[in-house]
Amino acid sequence: MKTPILVQLQPLMAALRAEQLTNNRPETLTGCYISDLLSDVLAHAEPGMIWLTIQTHRNVVSVAATKDIAVVLFTCGRKPYAEVIAEADEEGLALLTTPLTTFEAAGKLWEAGLRGKNGHE
Amino acid sequence: MQMVPATPSDVRAGEARKISVAQVLVYELRVRDAMSKPPITAAPTDTLRAVQHLMKARRISGVPISDGDKLLGLISIEDIIRALDKGYIDDHVQQHMARNVITLRDHFSLVRAVAEFDRHEFGRFPVLDGNDRLIGVLTRGDITDCLMQHLERRAEEALAHEAALRAERVADDAANRVVVRAHVRTGDYDSAGKLSQRMRQVLRERGVAPEIRRRAAVVAYEAETNIIIHSLGGEITATIDPDKVCIEAVDVGPGIGNVEQAMQEGWSTAGRLPRELGFGAGMGLPNIQRCSDKLEIKSDNKSGTTLRSEIYLRKAGVSA
Repeated sequence: MKTPILVQLQPLMAALRAEQLTNNRPETLTGCYISDLLSDVLAHAEPGMIWLTIQTHRNVVSVAATKDIAVVLFTCGRKPYAEVIAEADEEGLALLTTPLTTFEAAGKLWEAGLRGKNGHE
Repeated sequence: MQMVPATPSDVRAGEARKISVAQVLVYELRVRDAMSKPPITAAPTDTLRAVQHLMKARRISGVPISDGDKLLGLISIEDIIRALDKGYIDDHVQQHMARNVITLRDHFSLVRAVAEFDRHEFGRFPVLDGNDRLIGVLTRGDITDCLMQHLERRAEEALAHEAALRAERVADDAANRVVVRAHVRTGDYDSAGKLSQRMRQVLRERGVAPEIRRRAAVVAYEAETNIIIHSLGGEITATIDPDKVCIEAVDVGPGIGNVEQAMQEGWSTAGRLPRELGFGAGMGLPNIQRCSDKLEIKSDNKSGTTLRSEIYLRKAGVSA
């Protein structure tokens, strides 16, 4: 496995116009995965990644925790219920939301140097 | 059993470590442990013919001659043959017995007794105690029998000890086993992952490698959501042992129509609601298979589906 390119999350918050929903927020990201299919994420996401999705129900937290994903970024301004946020805090998972579409948010992340699985370009 | 340090002069220091159990026993055991007792004896006034009959009846080839427990002499089978040959078989034993009899003390080690047999080439030795009383007779056969008995006892003790250790290990494993079980209801999407979460917690506490922990979590989560999406309800159990996790998902039906097809990525029978929630990607079973070290799926229309996955905790496997 190639060493992932680590990208700082803090400087990205403004570009993403992201709102932090949980108390947790990691320093760095190892990569990004985008899917709204849970099993697809279980199959392909890597630990420490940021996951972009429009799904907001609590299974997102379960899936992210299962794969040790660092951040879930809800796009198109979606926000989960408070219970889901509380559960994420319990799991040590960070939740963010952005008004940007998935494509736009992904573009910002790519510009910042973030890459996909195993650091593939 | 008394312990005598196995450090005889004829064992060189370097060889001491290689001494077998039988060798140790030869040093540990005493003449008194091996001898036949009480001794079969004859009186000095008995006839040689009487001794001949005694030998035949008791199947022995030498008889100590004694007055009570005082050793006076010894008649061997050679003495009897000579008496028959020379025609004095009806004489009293005291006229013909060997009087300077070589004896063993009851506290001698068997290794010393063996050395005496080698030195004198006798078939037997009368055994005297510390007060010079005749208390037994020792033959090479007695030594062999005694060693065999003690070896057998040692072997039994070793086996019993091993069995006890095994039982202890089983009990230990049982004590270290954590079973997490959850009833899973059809369509209960909000509860998905509860079992997986508890299992992950146990694995984390046990210091299981993150990669292995994630694989177990994927299997548990996918198996749980399969029951929620596709079945009429069921139960999922994660049995966590020190060396492996066994995840068993059992539902009451309706069963998987074609398991082979279901194992193909992208193939799904999920309905509209689960798909909207992000389920039904057609990747559940392929994910389970990829993350399992061992996987069995039994499914039919009558009894539903039983999925059994094992994830080994002590070796690296595929990454998840």
